[in-house]
This record gives sequence, C-alpha cells and structure tokens, in this order.
Amino acid sequence: MSFIRYVRNIRRTGIKQWWHQLQYIGDAKAGALVGTDQFGNKYFENLNPDDEVPGRHRWVDFTQHYNNATQVPPEWRSWLSHIRLQPPTEDAVVQSLTPSWKAPWVENLTGTRGAYRSYNTVKPKINAWEPKVITRGEARP
Amino acid sequence: MSFARPRLVLGLAPKIVATQRSIALRSSLVTYRNIHSTRCSHAEHLESRLEGPIRSPPLGAGSLTAKDEPGKDIDPYKDGQSAIDKAVHLFFFTEIIRGMCSEMEPYTIMYPYEKGPLSPRFRGEHALRRYPSGEERCIACKLCEAICPAQAITIESEARADGSRKTTKYDIDMTKCIYCGFCQEACPVDAIVETQNQEFSTETREELLYNKEKLLANGDRAEAEIAANLYSDHVYR
Repeated sequence: MSFIRYVRNIRRTGIKQWWHQLQYIGDAKAGALVGTDQFGNKYFENLNPDDEVPGRHRWVDFTQHYNNATQVPPEWRSWLSHIRLQPPTEDAVVQSLTPSWKAPWVENLTGTRGAYRSYNTVKPKINAWEPKVITRGEARP
Repeated sequence: MSFARPRLVLGLAPKIVATQRSIALRSSLVTYRNIHSTRCSHAEHLESRLEGPIRSPPLGAGSLTAKDEPGKDIDPYKDGQSAIDKAVHLFFFTEIIRGMCSEMEPYTIMYPYEKGPLSPRFRGEHALRRYPSGEERCIACKLCEAICPAQAITIESEARADGSRKTTKYDIDMTKCIYCGFCQEACPVDAIVETQNQEFSTETREELLYNKEKLLANGDRAEAEIAANLYSDHVYR
C-alpha cells in the first residue's frame, strides 16, 4: 500500500530528509547509501520489493539545487541506469579499466559560456581571394 | 439473487474489515448490499409455476426438451435486472476504484533521480577512444564514413611524422546521425563507439556539429564506462 510505505519511509529517514526529498525527488524514499561521487552526489539503493518497486530501487540525491542528469559521472550513470550491477566503488571491472589519463567529467554546459562550439580541425581548403596590389613597374610574379 | 453479491461479500468485506474495523463502514456496506438486493423475481415465479405435480422425464426418450420439464423453461430474470447486468455494473463501478488504487502505487520513475534500465549496447552520444597508452585508436580507414547511411561522418587524414596515419578531421553531424550503430560495428579498432550518454541535448544546432576534439574528449571522460561495457559484451562480439 502506497500510503503505508510513504509513512514508513518518513519514519525511517526522518522529517528533515523527507522535506529535502520532497523538494527534489518528490517522494519519500529510504535506502542504503551506496556511495558518493567526486561531486558529492549521493547514491542510494533499496532492493526490498516491499519498499521500492523494482525499477525505482536506485536513485541519486544531487548536490546542486539546479540539477540535471548529466551531473552524474559516467561510471555512476551506468550504475544508475542499471547497466552495471555493482557501483563503481566496488566494481572490479570498471576500476581495472579506468585509465590514468581519464579526463574529469563536466556536465552538459549548453546554454552557458562553457558550451561547446564547433570549429574546423584542419586548414580550410577554400580561401577567400585576397587581392594583392603590385606597384607600377614591378615585375609580375 | 445475483452472483455479484457473494463476490462482493468475499472480495471487499474482509479487506475493509481487516484494515479498518469501523462499524460505520460496515453499516454502509450493509445498506449498499440492500440497494443491490432488488425484488427477487426468481423465487415467486418458480412458486407460481411449480404448483402441479412434478413429473419425471419419460425413460428412453434419449433427450430432454422443454416440454418434458414444465417450469424449467422460464426466465427468472425476465422482469428485473439480470445477474449479468448487476455484475457488470458492480465490476465496472469498482473498476474505477481499483484502477485508482493502482495509480496510488509509486510506479513512476522520477527522472533524473531515477532512471530506467539501459543496455550496455545502448547507442547514444559518440566518442573516439584511445589505447591504454593514450594513443588515439582511429587509423583513418574511413569504414565508418563509408557505411554511415546518413552520411554524417566526414574524415580527412594525414600521415604523421612517425609514419602512422591518423585523422586530422573527424566530424560527425549529430543532427544527421540516426544512431544506427553501424560506425562502431564497422570500426576495426573499436575507435568510434556510441556511449550510453543520451543527455547531450543542446540549445543551438551548432553545438551538435561534433569535431574530433569533442569526440576525443567524450572518449577521455567516459573511457572507463565504455571499456566496461565492451568487456561485458566481449563474449558475444
């Protein structure tokens, strides 16, 4: 029953956390803290089917107020979208395949000054004609 | 008596009694039941018709017809609401409540806090990968450019000073791309891949014209995820 679950989750997490969740996720959820990423986003999991419907058993609590889905780094995103079974803190495959040159994750910066702007990576093949005036009496090249 | 009434008693009453043992609710249930028990046309018809002696069917006839058993051919629901009508009304009424009950269940996935399941083969934003040494994988074979059905990929290449052929221009027009995944299937060195990132929406169209630097940056940021997904699928490739 949904109402009973709601009250039960409020009692588990406490009023403060419930109010915090009400501002963001819009539901009272209680679960175990699986990990925290480099940005401070907290990741929770509750595998009990009586508490959470399967498919809603993993969730994230964003650090930023103006949150969006791209604030989740890719390792945690693959855990959050149920691609990986284990979180990246425990996943041996992800840890062993993380290269030393891994670049830091940035969220989707569209609409800000940091947004990607496309440019040409090669020298342009077609150039506009630039007329060069030679002085009178000079030999033509 | 319709067959809806026992169903009502069996189905609804124990639930309500078990959850909230309120007398008021139970009395309202009784009135609800009384409304439904309309005039029982069934019984009085049977009494009026069954005055004569009950005859047993003749032996050896092989089959029984309506003539053999007078009183059995009457329609007990002729004057009132039929049992099926009552049942239909009851079930359609409770259907609304039962449907709303399932709506109260928290099934909605609250994106972006929660996400639906994705496959490790999901085809999202493109990325160019590097070898673990840091050398870029793409060898400018242009197979992806050739197979791209939307002709979204443009490649130009040059031989580097060390003799290896690398791309100087690797552009993907993400507005043309249909995300078929042929490029990553065509790639002999697993250089171009489609990551599981689907949140790369932009405000302007120009931001979707990806060049080589952008694609390599995508790969550098998500290399662990890409490599883990390829590893999880390596037995099927």
